[in-house]
Amino acid sequence: MSNQRQASSASQVPHLSPAELSYLYTSLSLPKSSIRPDGRSPTQFRPLTAETNILPGTNGSARVGFADGTQAIVGVKAEVEKTVLSNETVDARSEFGISEDRGEQEGSAAVGGHGSWVQMSIEIPGFRDDDALPVFLSEMMRESLVGAVGSAEASDMTGGLKGRLVINKRWHWRLYIDVLLLSQPLSYPLPLLSLTTHLALLSTKLPKLKSQGEEDPFFDDDWAVAEYLYPRVSLSSAKHSARSPFVRPPVTLLVISVGENIIFDPNREEIAVADAVLAISITRDSEAGNLKLLSIRTVDPPSRLTQPGIPNSENVNMLGAVASTEDVAVLNPATGEEEVPGVWRPRRGGVKRSVIAEMVKTVLKKGGVGEEVLEGLEGVEVS
Amino acid sequence: MPSGAGNTMSTSLPPVAIPGQRLGSVSVYAAGPGTHVQQANIYASIAGPVVVDPAQPKTQTKSTLRVSRILPGISQDVVAAPLAPAKPKPRYNTLPAVDSIVLARVTRVQKRQATVSILVVLDNATASTGDLSKLASDNDNVASILTSAANPENHSSTDELRFQALIRKEDVRAVEKDRVVMDEMFRVGDIVRGSVISLGDQSFYYLTTARNDLGVVMARSEAGNMMFPVSWKEMRDPVTGTGEQRKVARPF
Amino acid sequence: MMADRRRINGPPGGTRPAVFASNSQSGTGATTRAQRQRQPSELRKIFLKTGLIPTASGSSYLEFEPSASLAAARANPKSLIPPSSALKLACTVHGPKPLPRSAAFSPNLVLTTHVKYAPFAARRRKGHIRDSSERDLGVHLETALRGAIIAERWPKSGLDITITILEAEDDRWWGDAPDSHDASWGMMNVLAGCITAASAAIADAHIDCLDLVAGGVAALVSDESAGSSAAPKLMLDTDPAEHRSILSACVVGYMPARDEITELWLKGDSSKASLEDGDKRTGHEALIDGAVDAARGAHTVLAEAVRESLLSAVGQL
Repeated sequence: MSNQRQASSASQVPHLSPAELSYLYTSLSLPKSSIRPDGRSPTQFRPLTAETNILPGTNGSARVGFADGTQAIVGVKAEVEKTVLSNETVDARSEFGISEDRGEQEGSAAVGGHGSWVQMSIEIPGFRDDDALPVFLSEMMRESLVGAVGSAEASDMTGGLKGRLVINKRWHWRLYIDVLLLSQPLSYPLPLLSLTTHLALLSTKLPKLKSQGEEDPFFDDDWAVAEYLYPRVSLSSAKHSARSPFVRPPVTLLVISVGENIIFDPNREEIAVADAVLAISITRDSEAGNLKLLSIRTVDPPSRLTQPGIPNSENVNMLGAVASTEDVAVLNPATGEEEVPGVWRPRRGGVKRSVIAEMVKTVLKKGGVGEEVLEGLEGVEVS
Repeated sequence: MPSGAGNTMSTSLPPVAIPGQRLGSVSVYAAGPGTHVQQANIYASIAGPVVVDPAQPKTQTKSTLRVSRILPGISQDVVAAPLAPAKPKPRYNTLPAVDSIVLARVTRVQKRQATVSILVVLDNATASTGDLSKLASDNDNVASILTSAANPENHSSTDELRFQALIRKEDVRAVEKDRVVMDEMFRVGDIVRGSVISLGDQSFYYLTTARNDLGVVMARSEAGNMMFPVSWKEMRDPVTGTGEQRKVARPF
Repeated sequence: MMADRRRINGPPGGTRPAVFASNSQSGTGATTRAQRQRQPSELRKIFLKTGLIPTASGSSYLEFEPSASLAAARANPKSLIPPSSALKLACTVHGPKPLPRSAAFSPNLVLTTHVKYAPFAARRRKGHIRDSSERDLGVHLETALRGAIIAERWPKSGLDITITILEAEDDRWWGDAPDSHDASWGMMNVLAGCITAASAAIADAHIDCLDLVAGGVAALVSDESAGSSAAPKLMLDTDPAEHRSILSACVVGYMPARDEITELWLKGDSSKASLEDGDKRTGHEALIDGAVDAARGAHTVLAEAVRESLLSAVGQL
């Protein structure tokens, strides 16, 4: 078991027989109209219940439960911390009269925040916290959270979280995002964890700052006036059109391809036959209002570790019972492998660029899955 | 699809191939070990010399294309292969498979079974002739592996790196199966030649020694001297002259 | 924390010596940022050799060509601080070997990847225990390789792939404030090197695979000191130390024979890419294509290294 845990995908291999896998694959890869075991459409998500602000001891929290009983709780805690090193460097430079534009650039970078100010830990029952799966998941979600800096509009709070953590040149917030999965995952836990984290961050409030400028910070005791980490009114709404949406935390979607079909939010059985699995992080671009890609990662499809089926022509027990002509291998157009219909073979190889492009397009396009998910989440936080 | 490459039989074949190199079309060749098929073409999947096995007129219509795991020079068994008993299934790896002959060291003897760790997987062609010098496996120097393994000082933790196997009591010999006493068949440290009968469970292969040519091939006596076989069930210490009971393999 | 009352304690919440940036500014030339001398689509040279570690069933060693400024600094050192670094790593493959007793039966080859920085590999010392970035790299590498290996030909056995990084790529120019862009861009170069080297080592170990999978990196960089208003450009095989700001980067594990990607890791904002007129690709597509082009380049080296070691083995006997 310990060795299995090492692999991020191995833990996800369900105990399905080759015949079941083949049946699933065939129905999911039906051209243009995949049939999912639970009757969902390819872009439909599983129903879930969500609530926010459930933990009074945190700055923000959320709980999301899927209908299959898996639940995740996320608590966000913030601490004030002294910013080290970088401002001292900058001070020294300006003292020694380094060219001004350069010092300014370093300074603005320091104001941009630091990725290490956001700490994320994921606890999944049955896994040690240094196992590959929790580490991979937390790195994946953290990188989209702290990412998206470098643009000149950093002050615009576009996507990146870390700019908001700066209090002044010497102090910043440190954010701890602790993710707790309450039961052993029944499917790849990424969508659940990402949605929960998104909601928890949305509900996160930081106490209102009373000090000004470079003073040591002190805060308003009144929790009622605390400010949302992700402000409810976009800062750029004055400049841009009135329908400019709020700044939102990113959300990571799990997408699989089966044959030529693209399927969202796969459950455990569906991911077991996937040709390719992609985790795509998106956020809303506060300037243009459309969606922006933050990161893509391939996830090792568990289908590579499944047990192969044996065609009748090679099966010793069936020898002579079946005419070998029934077992004619045909070319699977999606993978280019020769396969006997109805006989499962573990997937091998990678994913075509056209498939990746198609997946990203389905997420990002206007009225696509990404917008649908974000709108759905916006509906939750009203509660 | 590039055309024309497969039409000229062996002239277009490269002498050596690296993984991912296209070798020919499935319409001309059959894919053998060391290759895989993709989009109706045969590609190499390991690095090595490309070998064409001519079609056997009775069973096959196409000659088989394979990439050899063995570098030329070590083994000349390509020619010798037809002499060996016909092997129905091509071997894709160097792991123990059903019917492969292995050399293994006894690590534990229990009442009902003996645990051994597999040192060498002998190729079928060479195993039948019993010529160790022409061994075609990944183990370059079988003689040195055996002598070091038979040395009691080397019975260390390297067993973890070897495949484990079981010889069950009823698989020790073909006759008088119910009278087998495991302690009189094997001792810890003996080198046994066995045949794989099953891939077994998650941790053990199953071996049999129920043939005349299978059984203990090397053993040390209680005194620590290398013994020589005197009968099918006894070996003798050349120094002290005492005999010990073993399930002995026919030495030739 | 309990204060020790028997001693006179120092002030709480310690202090940190100021870092004077001007010290390194004193006309030695060490602070001039390394500039990219290569064309946007020109790759660094790669040294790759297989079969260097006799006890392993397969092994390889990979080295990136030092950048022009690093080569100059090595030939004629002006400062103790090298301007950039060049990747050096060694990969060993052990197995196929039996699975540990506790492991469940597997009909396929079980791959275990282990990526470790040597403590001295990066500018900041790494501990001996693998940290989360090293584990993350291991998962990426595993994904890249598992897509290429034909696992069903090796039932019941495991393959351990261990990579030691002797010299890592910098995440940024060392003279930049550590906050300026702290995304781990160097890690992506390291991953590309890991994929290429591991692929060579697996071929050296004669494990069946579909193709030699090669790693490649492309990035969108905005170099203009005029400010970030300049449109970011697509560059292949970027050395993060040579660029003022990397907006987005992508690493792929790519199999040319099948035109398939086994591993993709893209991050950052790729929406502002300036492509040539008439190029209808979106930023991320251009980035992926760029990384694939870089991987194709690495694949030629990889194929040559594998062929070379094969021919020398054939020739010896």
